[in-house]
Amino acid sequence: MSAVKVKITYCAECGYEPQTLDLAKALMFEFAQDLASIELIPWEGGTFDVSVDGELVHSMRREGGFPAAESVKAAVRARLPASPAS
Amino acid sequence: MTMTKERFAGGLTYDAYKEAMTRNRERVEDNEKKVVLDPGTVRFFKGLPEPINVVVLAEDWCGDVIANLPVLGTLAKAVGTLEVRIFYRDQNLDLINRWLNQGKYQSIPVFAFFDQSFRDLGHWIERPASVTELRARKRKEIFASDPAFGSPDAPVDQLPEDVRTRLQAELAKMREETTAFANNEVQRELRELVAAIPAR
Repeated sequence: MSAVKVKITYCAECGYEPQTLDLAKALMFEFAQDLASIELIPWEGGTFDVSVDGELVHSMRREGGFPAAESVKAAVRARLPASPAS
Repeated sequence: MTMTKERFAGGLTYDAYKEAMTRNRERVEDNEKKVVLDPGTVRFFKGLPEPINVVVLAEDWCGDVIANLPVLGTLAKAVGTLEVRIFYRDQNLDLINRWLNQGKYQSIPVFAFFDQSFRDLGHWIERPASVTELRARKRKEIFASDPAFGSPDAPVDQLPEDVRTRLQAELAKMREETTAFANNEVQRELRELVAAIPAR
């Protein structure tokens, strides 16, 4: 099974830790071991970027603001192998 | 809302704010040590006909507060004519919404100046534009100095970890090297702001 990698790059000097942790927590609870990793990267310059398997799915500079957890979850879900039909 | 004597008195002094900081106090105190007061600016503020009340909006996680509040705090202690009281932005939304950056951003720090009757004299937000411009130019130069850094507009999470660490060190060094300029610019802008207040 191919597990998905998420990276969250956040502006540490802007105090974006709560939003970073909230998003990481939401992903952990939603996907558990279906995620290979969640990498948190402290950065600067007003950054809040989220990439899923190397694709930038949210950028504060591009979209403005923080992402809705649901939109990041949808991006992860789209990269997970389809569940077998029950 | 209007600022009143009573509300102003409820703000924290600079030292009380530092005492109450839950993080970054050591960074604020490191920055205090880097502040070199301009003698002309000190003379100017010492010569004010009456003290000025300065309302500050801040939060202890904010990089611009950590960088610029020590300049005001150090200046105020040296001149004795700036009475500083600090308020937490997120607990005083009526205040921050009065001084929005470009009319829409709740940027901090805000330094808002009032006379002894609490008449609004003007305000200063976040950091000098000259500092933003200098650092943006230096940032571009850093990216241009090493092809491994890629584009300044590309997500940094795609850089290999060793390159990212090197880039972060370069950016931190640049911020350090531009600190003296930034501190001088804050002093210059505060002095110009107060000097532009018409005599009553």
